[in-house]
Amino acid sequence: MPATIIHHHPSSYRDPSGFIFEKNGILYRQVNTIFKEHFDFFIASGCYEKLVKKDWLIAHETVTENLTGDEQWYATLKPERLSFISYPYEWSFDMLKDAALLTLAILKESLASGMILKDATPYNIQWHTGKLVFIDSLSFEKYDETVPWIAYRQFCENFLSPLLLAHYSRMPLQEMMLAYSEGIPLAVTKSLLPWRTKFSIHTYLHIHLHAKYSIKNPSSQTGKNTAFSKKKLLNLVASLEGLITKLKLPESKSTWSDYYDEASQRTDYLEHKRTIIQRWLEKIKPVATAADLGANTGEFSKLMASKNIQTIASDFDPNCINALYNEIKKNGEKNIVPIIIDFSKPSPAIGVNNEERDSFIKRTHVDLALALALIHHLAIGKNIPLEKIADLFQKLCNYLIIEFVPKQDEKIKLMLTGKKDIYTAYKEENFLSAFQQYFSVLEKETIAGSERTIYLMKKNEA
Amino acid sequence: MLHHLVYIDPGSGSFLVQAITAAVLGVVFFFRNIRMYIKSIFTRTPKKQDDNNPSA
Repeated sequence: MPATIIHHHPSSYRDPSGFIFEKNGILYRQVNTIFKEHFDFFIASGCYEKLVKKDWLIAHETVTENLTGDEQWYATLKPERLSFISYPYEWSFDMLKDAALLTLAILKESLASGMILKDATPYNIQWHTGKLVFIDSLSFEKYDETVPWIAYRQFCENFLSPLLLAHYSRMPLQEMMLAYSEGIPLAVTKSLLPWRTKFSIHTYLHIHLHAKYSIKNPSSQTGKNTAFSKKKLLNLVASLEGLITKLKLPESKSTWSDYYDEASQRTDYLEHKRTIIQRWLEKIKPVATAADLGANTGEFSKLMASKNIQTIASDFDPNCINALYNEIKKNGEKNIVPIIIDFSKPSPAIGVNNEERDSFIKRTHVDLALALALIHHLAIGKNIPLEKIADLFQKLCNYLIIEFVPKQDEKIKLMLTGKKDIYTAYKEENFLSAFQQYFSVLEKETIAGSERTIYLMKKNEA
Repeated sequence: MLHHLVYIDPGSGSFLVQAITAAVLGVVFFFRNIRMYIKSIFTRTPKKQDDNNPSA
């Protein structure tokens, strides 16, 4: 028996072609003998190389050793490691849209090499160094022209459904993807879409007709005798591409996206805050990873990124994160992962045994967390006790830069209009004692042009 | 015969609907291509002007 323990990744159980495992803290992917023919063709056809060259697929090294000692072992791959795993229910509209288009582009490219994608789920896509990238190198199999695309329904339920629903409702609905983590069933999408979508030929075919047949026809009709061809598949892909390209989420003035516009009128406040943070960053060097909690449109995430710090920019406002996503995509920013997280209910662990997709807290452990102008939204906006907020932050980071907004602040006064002030415990001294259960205060400063204070804290050794 | 590993359920009727959808799309794209072709005849002149100015 090997002394080192091998952990099968809990999300890697579905596909018999292989699995992900961890050994000595390194992630590997095993290819099983059953998938040998397809995998060899994937490499020999040049499909792998072509996709990696385009930056569409994660690159891997081949390890010659059978690390698992498994009888089914055919090959071991060591894929490039991702800094952070995010899930589609944390993505903004345009990120999911781009992931859908990437999936279709990869499908077309693989068809040109005589291969096809055997699954189409957004969980196979991750944000990696400023780009969306496909991470499952075992999703490709030899193409048989006479068989329709096996992942067609999966694609429609996982990508097309949420995008269409958001487009027509004009609402960011990423939380629906959490409720339907295996894809929004076609029948649900059909019933929620407005009636007029039946008159759009592409939506009618991919959703309405598709839903009707999925219900009515027995599984015996699996298409064994339906004639199919590559031309037909390419038409299907062209239709999906055309439809998805046109979908958009209308820009709306969100709660906080005009915050900086407004705050910029108080230039000295923002500038001073920036100067303080820059100075403290020097003090606690080296910082490799950070999480900007309540990032808004990412002003301070960009500051972190400019110092080559891998930064998770998270906010509960989907419009802010969508705007940030589009900005970093445009500027080729490599160090920011933009995700939608509501800190009053961060993403839970879901899936089989609740182990398949980890919770946000379990996935996030960074050198530094920034919580700027956030605490009052949690403590007053959501009635969360300061002790619970402190407990949340201590789970995420080693260092914390946190801004305390006093009750006499304009923003809090605004929040309290029409609301009974039951927040007697919301005081700086209580804030400090709550956080000092886990952290030691290293620095404290008052930010110019405001009564707000900012703290640098270090987590106490356990 | 290829050995396909079918681990996701393609969905009852999803193959059949794909065949129907693809056939309908064949017709849709056929007419769209004709329309685009006719359109391109009328818009050919301005396009050539663009070609003369590659930096634009």
